[in-house]
Amino acid sequence: MPEAIDIQLKKGALELCVLALLSQHESYAYEIASRLADSIGMGEGTIYPLMRRLQNERLVETHLVESSTGPSRKYYRLTEAGKASFASQKAAWASFSGAVQGILGAVK
Amino acid sequence: MTRQAFMTRLRAGLAGLPSQTVADIVADYETHFADGVAAGRSEEDVAAALGDPGRLARELRAEAGLKAWEENRNPSGAAAAVFAVLGLGAIDILILLPILMGVGGAMFGVAVAVIAVFFAGGVVFAAGPFTGLPGGPVVAILAGIGLMSGAAALGAVLTICTIGLVNALVWYGRLHYRLLRPALEPQTVGVAR
Repeated sequence: MPEAIDIQLKKGALELCVLALLSQHESYAYEIASRLADSIGMGEGTIYPLMRRLQNERLVETHLVESSTGPSRKYYRLTEAGKASFASQKAAWASFSGAVQGILGAVK
Repeated sequence: MTRQAFMTRLRAGLAGLPSQTVADIVADYETHFADGVAAGRSEEDVAAALGDPGRLARELRAEAGLKAWEENRNPSGAAAAVFAVLGLGAIDILILLPILMGVGGAMFGVAVAVIAVFFAGGVVFAAGPFTGLPGGPVVAILAGIGLMSGAAALGAVLTICTIGLVNALVWYGRLHYRLLRPALEPQTVGVAR
């Protein structure tokens, strides 16, 4: 079931990608959703439950930024706990994907 | 689906949550539509990219329920967490449910027994000295105190067990929608487990 595997991989990587994006600069949900939709092809709506969970777990925090064009916008940024979580998830991902890559390379 | 239809279905799915939470969520998606339209996309396009509103509402409800439990560890918070997990509508909940009901029923039974013993202790403590129980009034008073403190201790243990159980359920619920039922999974693909 290649479709299912594809989806599982994306879902697993989603939180890591959001944290990575926010580690570069703070951002708002539409930008996060459209960036990730473009690059990994996920459902844009999924970003909102995820952001609420990250917020509940105190990995991200929000603040409002005045906008010149419309109402003020809700920006997300990483907390200290979020930065720590990103670092450890990134390391875990690197070792996992390295191991998988090694096996895939060996059976070629 | 238009923005209107999407928001109506989302609201329907969120019914029953605190109005502040619903307002926050609705505002998030309204902003998303506004941003999408500003970027030159059609409402239908944005709605299609967002995914099924009913499914999104289920995930958001689950998160809100788990948050309620984490913020106040009382019976209503516990109920919110339990319903949040059930609301995910996972099939293995059906397998889990008989076990859960058995454990819950047993805990309820113990709770009733604890209360009964406590009151029995109270009766022995208050009425014992006047009924001429063997051993005299002092023994009756001490026995009453003993029964009541025993019941209180058992009640405390029961409370700790209940908190542990709900925490386990919360962990299970989180695991579930994080790993096993991805929301980006299109509705037609029901095989990602």
